[in-house]
This record gives sequence, structure tokens and C-alpha cells, in this order.
Amino acid sequence: MEILKKPRYVREDRCIACGACTEKCPGKFDDGYNADLKTRTAIYVEYPQAVPLKYAINPDACLKLTKDKCGTCQEVCPADAIDYTMTEEKITIDTGSIILAPGFKPFDPSRFDNYQYAKFANVVTSMEFERLLSATGPTMGHVTTFPKLPAKPKKKKDKLLAEKRKDPKKIAWFQCVGSRDVNKCDNPYCSSVCCMYAVKEAIIAKEHAGKDLDCAIFFMDMRTPGKEFEKYYQNAKDKHGINFIRSRVHSVVEDSETGDLHIQYADEMGQIVRETYDMIVLSVGLEISAETRAFAEKFNIDLTESGFAKTGSFEPVTTSRDGIYVSGVFNNPKDIPESVLDASAAASAAGDALAEVRNTLTKEIPAVPETNVTGDRPAIGVFICDCGSNIAGVVDCPNVTEYAATLPYVTVAEETTYACSQDAQDKMVEIIKEKGLNRIVVAACTPKTHEPLFQETLKSAGLNKYLFEMTNIRNHNSWVHKNNPDIATEKAKDLVRMAVAKAGLAQPLKEEKIQVNASVMVVGGGLAGMVAARSLASQGYETHIIEKKDTLGGEALKLWKTAQGEDVQQHLSALIKEVQASDKIVVHTNTTLEGVDGFVGNFVSKLNTDGNTTELEHGIAVLATGAKALETTEYSLGQDDRIIPTLELDRMFKDNDPKLDQVQSALFIQCVGSREPERPYCSRVCCTHSVENAIALKEKNPDMDVFILYRDIRTYGERELLYKKAREKGVIFIRYEVTDKPQVKVEKDHVAVTVKDHVLNQPVTIQADLVTLATALVPRKDERLANFFKVPLNDEGFFVEKHAKLGPAEFATDGVFVAGSGHYPKPVNEAITQGRAAASRALTLLAKKDSLFTSGTIASVDVEKCSACGVCVSICPYNAPAFMTEGRFEGKADVNPVLCKGCGLCVASCRSGAIHLRGFDTNQIFSQIFALGETA
Amino acid sequence: MTEKNIKIVSFLCNWCSYGAADLAGVSRMEYPADIRVIRIPCSGRMSPKFILSALREGADAVWVSG
Repeated sequence: MEILKKPRYVREDRCIACGACTEKCPGKFDDGYNADLKTRTAIYVEYPQAVPLKYAINPDACLKLTKDKCGTCQEVCPADAIDYTMTEEKITIDTGSIILAPGFKPFDPSRFDNYQYAKFANVVTSMEFERLLSATGPTMGHVTTFPKLPAKPKKKKDKLLAEKRKDPKKIAWFQCVGSRDVNKCDNPYCSSVCCMYAVKEAIIAKEHAGKDLDCAIFFMDMRTPGKEFEKYYQNAKDKHGINFIRSRVHSVVEDSETGDLHIQYADEMGQIVRETYDMIVLSVGLEISAETRAFAEKFNIDLTESGFAKTGSFEPVTTSRDGIYVSGVFNNPKDIPESVLDASAAASAAGDALAEVRNTLTKEIPAVPETNVTGDRPAIGVFICDCGSNIAGVVDCPNVTEYAATLPYVTVAEETTYACSQDAQDKMVEIIKEKGLNRIVVAACTPKTHEPLFQETLKSAGLNKYLFEMTNIRNHNSWVHKNNPDIATEKAKDLVRMAVAKAGLAQPLKEEKIQVNASVMVVGGGLAGMVAARSLASQGYETHIIEKKDTLGGEALKLWKTAQGEDVQQHLSALIKEVQASDKIVVHTNTTLEGVDGFVGNFVSKLNTDGNTTELEHGIAVLATGAKALETTEYSLGQDDRIIPTLELDRMFKDNDPKLDQVQSALFIQCVGSREPERPYCSRVCCTHSVENAIALKEKNPDMDVFILYRDIRTYGERELLYKKAREKGVIFIRYEVTDKPQVKVEKDHVAVTVKDHVLNQPVTIQADLVTLATALVPRKDERLANFFKVPLNDEGFFVEKHAKLGPAEFATDGVFVAGSGHYPKPVNEAITQGRAAASRALTLLAKKDSLFTSGTIASVDVEKCSACGVCVSICPYNAPAFMTEGRFEGKADVNPVLCKGCGLCVASCRSGAIHLRGFDTNQIFSQIFALGETA
Repeated sequence: MTEKNIKIVSFLCNWCSYGAADLAGVSRMEYPADIRVIRIPCSGRMSPKFILSALREGADAVWVSG
């Protein structure tokens, strides 16, 4: 593969991201990160948290590169990192797998004449509004009208407009701008994320502007099918007072005097309503750009008509070309958690393909033997970093160095230009050896980024890496007190004195090796569980599937087709065969879990197979227990065989049931048991499923009358095309309110369903031969299983993942992962993605099985002082402390180093002072406090 | 800037507030130089003894953030 790397004009190996270059740079261009609402200098960093945090020059805005004038950044750069002669580089890489994640482009609404985004000052896009709400945005989170004008306008016309600026009192959001639209643009799909972000923006706007801000969201269907999203939507209505108006606004007229925006729309009763808003936010959709399409063409992969990568439901991250995988919005519009799952799944698919050659390119660093310093008098070396002029430009570093040398136990105090540079590190190793130092203090930037680097230096000098203390005299001092150099110098001295006091008490700490049993237990033999097992087995790990039924397959055995029209049973049986044939997978059917002991890397589970109990040792667990259809008697279900749940209709299709040939009028009722007080979540899969089956009925018999009674149709992503197809085929959609549900009456010849039609505002009665109820998906709510692994369940009984956005396939309990509908209801492709993602996350532990260590900064118990009160055992969120069950100190507490996260909660709560937190011990924190009490 | 030499002892959680103080630096936000940060692994590490001790050592205020 050949890659073209564009020049940065800044050497990454030298740039220290001090920002001196931007202060003097005269070149300006639009700041894309802030939705072009402000400008940035030609030398810039994309955003403050960018990784790597290295500057770059925009060659089109730089005066040196365009006109050969200026050159200021080169003059002011303290690290000599600027290189105007850099050119494009071609890099050739040999790869076995490729993952494409090119993302999306927000839809540009300037081409719509009805909303006049390009012309009207107070019509903004949701991306612009997002930046207006942000504390790091152009207005620092203050929402104001005329946001597209510069903060301090220079042009006369802009100045006049800027005088009209005010805090908005009424803001409206228009949904589906550039989505679900084939009239004004060619995007027939739903962008999946806009409903939620509009609700979020409205809530935050009210938080910023106060309760009297009037927020209205104009929408077609409110689509909040994600985990916890429906509750968020209901709270927006009930608690935050956001108005939701089901209407598509035709056009916007601007008041030329005030810049206010007049709109008129038809409400649900068909009445014309006129309103005036201070601001209108266009909820723009996600689009695949022409560049991304061209990019995909280079890889020769198939795209859908809208430009998304074509993938199948059973290999949801694999493109049409072998060895090329996709993740993120390029693989259909999706929210953050689904993108993160996609990413892990793509890594798993790419890794599975390369399993044979794993670790063939790994290199190891030889270890230096550690010097024993126990009992030695502290000999502290203090290194004061100038960070070029970043610290030295404000703090009097020679003075601080001189002062540091006078502190107790300090053997050496050195000033260095860049403590993090390679030559400074080499010199540090030399000084440590030469002077026999046994504790090191570095006063420089933040330990959050640089502590690991210096700890490596200590290791290469033969010192235990915990004999180190870092104090922050840049981010917390010189950068924030630049107008008070004297005070900043005094503060630096205080900080150095505190760090030296703490370092004097530092002890060498041991990192315990974590033994990882390289086998995995997957609970649940459904789709997600089998996919996780297959992936782990293909990487060479022994995997056990625990299934309580006598067959594999789970709920998927009852499904007919996927949203993309694939035959579920055909794929499922192939997967089952693959799992059964694998010599790395052991399937335990008719088996339940009776107990679990241990922790990450070392679990022992008790299995019960038909009454026989066995023990299984495993290092990792994946919980894939799934969900099932709600059993209900609502709408007379169970009283008449013409009223059936969705899965029964699937069965009829699968078996080609002759009864289907008799049906002349079919009706679906959505949200049966979902989105109600008892189950306040959306079951996510039912809208697509019913629409898909409605199409199948129409295709079977085009003369059949097919009705779908719904609350909001939630065919997210390209599933929207099915909804469109259904309407084109003549399926009739009738919306009902939860407060006015359809009435079902069983008659002799038919089932009569009465519903209030939302267009006619009249009750209509439909005579149906077949009524299909889209019953909710309910979790198994297995509290016993949750307790075994100490993982939480939410109110409805779904598993709660480690992080709603960033940790969607793992639990907060180390070594335990989650996949499938037990986490939240999901269709086939998403269950498979999560199965792969869970395997991928598990692999990050399994792959390190010989090099996994605990942290050194963890709690330990002084048994002599322990009174066995049990406070630590009950208070620890990670279950690390436990009572010893044998030996001389039976009954006293002991902390498991593998489970301890080093938070110190037990230390602070121990009434006997028996627990020590290594690295942050009580005497160390006191030493810092006492050192502060002394005056420099 | 304050005329009197005030000292505020700040116990900042490594994972949130300490990182936020780092970002304040990256963004070059200026604030009075009265605080002295003690990094702790979690605000759960805080013991009332630390607060009392800081006040006894002459701190004008103690700030725990996490």
C-alpha cells in the first residue's frame, strides 16, 4: 500500500507544543474545528486535546510558504522544529489487513433556498450551534444571535449588525435537514444521530441561558432508539420543558430590521401557526463526501447508492473486498457507541485474518537490573526544566535550581533546557549513576503526559520507577501566571520543596505479575456469543460456550430475514457448524452457571450440566445472554390465532405457512410494551422488522391491504429505505398516541382494530385477518449472573457497560465483557458487531498474558493494626479488600493487588490507619502539607 | 492579583481536576497564583486529617476537587 503524507512543516520529533509560534503568526484562516465561526493562525494545532499534540502549518495561509515573507515562527520556535523545506512523502507499507474509517461530512444546507442558511444571519447549522455551546468555542459557551459575524467586526456593515446582538429567547431546531429527503437533496437515508443531538443541544442551551429560554424541535419522527435515549427524550419534554412539534416547516422569512426569523407551519390538526424565533438551528445530516467516494474507489470496494460501504449483516465490518474492513459512519450513519463497537469489531476481523502471523514482528526491550536502595539514605536529584522559554520565560529557573540544592537530602540540582529531550534523558542516567542518586524529582510539565517517560529513564538507570516524583511548574504555573514572574518563581519553589519532601519518603514498589488463564468462557450460545467465541478461537484461545438450552442459536433461530434481506437460518446454521467444528471451542449445552470465584485472569466457574457439577477455569468471561420477546396479553394476544407476535409471523414466513395465502388484510401494531412507563425504552428492532415483513406481505400479494399502526417510525440509517419502499408499495402507516391506543376486537370473520387517524382526527376501524404485534424485547434480568461477576444491571434489567460511549462492549469489572441484546435490544448485524467487539477487547488482555502487571501504586494492609472491622471490604467499589480465610491473620483484611485500582478510598476510611496507599501514602501527603507550611 | 499572600491548598483528583488544571494551562487561562496543588489518585483518598493539617500549617483555604 502506498501512502502520501502531506508535509506538516513542523518536525514532530522536535515540536514541544509550547505555542510560541502561534502568538506571532500573522497568517489567518477559518478554524474548521470551530465550524469556521472564528479564524486561527496559519501555524496551528487542530484542537487542544489533539494527539499527537504537534503543530502544523497550513501552506495556503502561511506568508512564508505563499509569498516567501515572514518566517517569524522559525525565529521564535525554541525547539528549532520549523522546517519550511518539508515536502510530500510517499510511504510504502506491507499490510495484511486494511481498516477504512474515513468518517462523514456534515450536510451543507447552503443549497436549500427555503431556509436561506447562507443569507440569514441567525439560521445556523447544528455543528455551529454545538461550538457556540462549548466552553472552548468562539463565544466560550455564551449563546448569542448573529454568531457568524466576527467577535470584533471590522467592516462597517458587520459592525451595524453586531449592535443588534442579543441573547436569544426563542430557538427552534429543524430536523432532517439533508436526511430523509429526495426532493431537495439525494439523501434518502436517516442520519441516525440528529434527533438525539438536537435534544441534547436544546437541553444544554437551556442550562446556559436559563429556564425561560423557549426551545422547540420541529420533527417528523422522533428517533431515539439508542440505549437510555428514550428516557432522555422524555425528560427533555417533562423536566426541561422542550417543545416537540411534529411538523416540517416550509420556509423562513427574515425580519430585515431585527434579524428575527418568522416561520409558519401546519400543526398536527392542520392549523396554520405563525411564530417568530431569534435563532433557527438546522439539524444537518451526515453525508459521504465526493472525496470519500473517490477514496473508496481506489480500494475498489462496493458502496451503496448513498455512498456508504456495502457490508452484510453477518460480516458487518467486512467490505466487498477481502482483507478490507470498515468502521464508523462510513459503514452507515451511527452514534458514538456504535462507532466504537464498529472499531473494535473491525480490529477483530482484521486480526482474525492475520492470526497465523501474530507476533512475528514484535520486538522486546532488554531490562536493566534494579539497584536495591532499601535502607539507603535518600540521595535526591532535582531536575528543573526550562521547557525552552515556556517555563524559563516566566519562572527564574536558575534561582529555583539554586534553592532546590539547599533542600534536605538533595544531592544534585540541575537546570535543563528540555528535560524530555533524548540528550537530557541520557545525561540524567549518567548523573544518577555517577552521584549514586536514589530518588528523582523533575519539575517540568504534567505527570499525566510525561511521568511514564521519566520512569523509563529511571528504569534504564537501574532505579525502581516509583522512586520518582514530578511537579508541574508549567501547566499549573508559568503558563497561567505569565504576568507575575516573581510570584510564579515563589510558587515553583514551594512546589519543588513539596515534591522533594514527598520523594524523600518514596519506596521502591513492586508490580505483581497477573497470571492470565488464556481460556475464555462465553455465557450464552446465541449469535453474539457464538461470534465472540469464533473470533477468540481463530486467534488460538480455548473458548467455552455455556448454553442453558440444548441447541446453539438463541433467539436468532426464530428469525426469518435480516433488514438487508439475508436468510437468517442459512447463515445461522453455517455459523453453528463452524463453531461446532472448531477444535478450540467447547460447547456446553443444557448447562447453567452455578457460581463464579476469582477475578481477571483467574476465574473458576461452577457449571451444572444436567445435574452434574464441573469446574471451569478461565481468564476471561463474555456475557451474551440476550433478550427475549415480551409475553403479554395486551391487544387480546393469545385469545385468537389471528392475533400473533412478530416472531410468529417470522415462523409463518420461514415455514411457508399456507395460512398466509388466505390473508387479505394485515395489520401491525408497534410499541407493544415498549416506550411505556413500565418499560420506558425503545426496543430498537421492531420498526424495521415490521416494515420489512409488511413489504414481504405486499410482495406476496400486492392486493393485500397492509397497515402499520405506529408512534414514531424508527428506521434509522439506511433502514429508512425500507420505510420508503413500504410506502411506495402501498403499506398504509397510521400514527397513534400512547394515550389513545388502538382498540382490538375479535369478531367472527375478522379482527376489528379501531384507531384514531392522525390526519382525519377521526376513529377508523380496520378489518384485519392478521394482526401482528411488535412486542418489546425484554432482557433476561439475570441478577444471579450479574452478582457472580459483580456487574450492574439497569432499571429494566439490561447490563450496564463500563462507559456508555467509550466502553460499550466491556464491564467496569476487569476481564468481563458484554455482547448482544442482554446489553440492549439490537438487530442481527449489531449483535454480531458487538460479539466481535467483545472478543477484540478480550484479546487486549489475552495477548498480554505474559506481560500483564498490576500497578505499584495500590493499597496494602498492615495486619498488626487491622481491627477486622470490615469498612474497607464494604466500601471498595472494586471488591479488592477481603477477609483472610486462613493462616495466622485469619479474619483480617487483605487487598487483592489485581483488583485494586489505587483510589485510596479504603485508606481514607480505615479507622485504624492500617491501610497504606503505596505512592500516595499518608505520610507522603502529610510531608507535602508540612513542606508547604515552611516558607521558602 | 491579591496583595496579601494567600495560600490555598488544593487536593486535585488525578483523573479529572488535575487534568483540567493542565488544560487551563494549555489554554493559557490566567488565574491568581495562590493555589498549591497536591495530586491525589482520587478524591476518595481525601482524609479530614489532611484538611485540618493544611489549615494548621497556615493555609487560608483548602480546596478538594474531584
